[in-house]
Amino acid sequence: MTAASESASGHRWAVADLWTWAVLKWVVAICIAIVAVFPIWWMVNVVFAEPGAPVSINPRLYPTSFSAGWDKIMMILTETQYLRAYYISVTYALLTILGVLLFGSMAAFEFALFDFPGKGLLFGVVMLSLMVPTAVTIIPTYLLVADLGWLNTMQGLVVPGLASAFGLFMLVQFMRSIPAEMIEAARLDGASHFQIYWHVALPLSKNALVTLAILTFMKTWGNFTWPLIVAPSPETYTVGQVVGLFNAPFSHQTVDVVMTANLLAAVPPLIFFLIFQRKIVEGIAMQGSKG
Amino acid sequence: MAQLDIQAVTKTFGTVSVLKDINLNIRSGEFIVFVGPSGCGKSTLLRMITGLETVSSGEIRIEGARVNETDPAQRGTAMVFQSYALYPHMSVAENMGFSLRMAGQKKTEIRDRVARAAAILRLDKLLDRRPGQLSGGQKQRVAIGRAIVREPKVFLFDEPLSNLDAELRVKMRAELLELHRRLKATMIYVTHDQVEAMTLADRMVVMNGGIVQQFGRPLDLYDDPDNLFVAGFIGSPRMNVMSAEVAEVTPTHVTVTSPGGADARLILPFRGLDPSIRQLSLGIRPEHVRLAEAGEGLPVAVDFVEELGDVTYIHGSMPAGERLVIRSGVRRLDPTLTTCHAALDPARFLLFDSEGQRLRESGSLPA
Repeated sequence: MTAASESASGHRWAVADLWTWAVLKWVVAICIAIVAVFPIWWMVNVVFAEPGAPVSINPRLYPTSFSAGWDKIMMILTETQYLRAYYISVTYALLTILGVLLFGSMAAFEFALFDFPGKGLLFGVVMLSLMVPTAVTIIPTYLLVADLGWLNTMQGLVVPGLASAFGLFMLVQFMRSIPAEMIEAARLDGASHFQIYWHVALPLSKNALVTLAILTFMKTWGNFTWPLIVAPSPETYTVGQVVGLFNAPFSHQTVDVVMTANLLAAVPPLIFFLIFQRKIVEGIAMQGSKG
Repeated sequence: MAQLDIQAVTKTFGTVSVLKDINLNIRSGEFIVFVGPSGCGKSTLLRMITGLETVSSGEIRIEGARVNETDPAQRGTAMVFQSYALYPHMSVAENMGFSLRMAGQKKTEIRDRVARAAAILRLDKLLDRRPGQLSGGQKQRVAIGRAIVREPKVFLFDEPLSNLDAELRVKMRAELLELHRRLKATMIYVTHDQVEAMTLADRMVVMNGGIVQQFGRPLDLYDDPDNLFVAGFIGSPRMNVMSAEVAEVTPTHVTVTSPGGADARLILPFRGLDPSIRQLSLGIRPEHVRLAEAGEGLPVAVDFVEELGDVTYIHGSMPAGERLVIRSGVRRLDPTLTTCHAALDPARFLLFDSEGQRLRESGSLPA
């Protein structure tokens, strides 16, 4: 075999390897996507089907009745407290986002850009709290909220979640990249401490704030345990709790109605994800790279 | 325009002293350049003037008023940073008008002052752009514009041209001089580039190790340095320095032997040298050294040659290993040149003692 033919043969093998690798990657990616999407698709399929069809001997893998699905949605929205739960959940999520962004950014501004006595120790304590499981803090937090008389109130739901150690950590990492000279330039321009925060640090941290807002929304919307113990009254039920009632072992609802409740609960985060998916991926990457 | 007085100022960080007993009197409307190697304290001094660093002891006075405890924004100074420090989320106009906005000025007033500064700096057409859409030179002009808008008493520049390429630096230097001529403002400029310092300064402050080595007009410092540090720092290529032994001292001359380790004697015109001094350092600029014929001058081993077109620098070593640079008008030298002879103009030698301090002539010529 000549050197030229050996080289051509080697090149062919290299191309074949690349093709095999690419096909393998696609096959694995598609399999993962199917596993991830199938439960949602099955949920849609069950909701938009005639009652009884989902549990029939021959279930379909595609929606069979749009009108039946719409009737179930309307039934849940009108005959249960689902809309009120939506209102509670949205308010809970929005207030938590606002609070986390406000307190997190103010604290991060100080930790990232200024020196003060005890800064290292305080930041260390905050970081330590990241390592404490929620199960350890949930009872003392509940007792504190109960002592304050905040059970079954919006402040009881929201306030304990406002001090986010993770949010602070993420914003501190981001704000550390703001050049000190820019802060000094603002001081020379006559900006007060708060004005530097408001006019310089906050706008420059917009990307991190948007990411934190999205992650906080996902976490708050999906939070089941805290609302369950701090707001047990039906008047303060969140979407998660209402869905929990539908899913309860002794629930009298049929599978398709339970699925409808689940689908309605899943719609806001789904829409959120579709709109902000790039930011969410960036945010998750940021947690990894900055951590 | 404002006079600036720095009186016995020191700065310490913990136990480390970075500025020692700084005394400067800067006249109104002067263009002053602080120059020195990295870490000499020049930027720290600038930051103390503007209030970004506290003064450990001593006083800073602007127009006679002590400003040690005055808030940076109230001192009447404006600073242009090396990195420009423009706010990337604001337009050029918003960047320039930010200080006025913080001061609560009316929008019309802000617009007018920004427009005036933009006209001076030819930024009129860029006012709506963001810093990210500007070139390095344009960003630098915006940073200067931001300072102009504040109408400060003293402009402070912290190595503002360091991030620009060589051609743009020359252009921006000319623009800064033009701006100074036009505004007639007191300007203090920090750089480690002695060429920049020489070309910009009315007077320059050479610093090293937190101490002012010399303060004066650029050519005075070039021709008449106080010590070996200033002699070496000002001028490119550096001043040649060689050791020598004092053989004889007369009222009008000093005879030295072994200059640079060479077997030679030099008779230098110098009045009033302390006869107890036996060792000297001799300084001479490359332009006062010329190529000589064999047998004339001092022998030099040629290390390398820089042919710059208008001038040629021959870098060599003297017998004791000390470097000697010869400036020559010969454009093309023999590429195989390995040794040459250097003729040194005795009248151009500067004398320094063993601690590097300049020895100056004293007394009058004998009758």
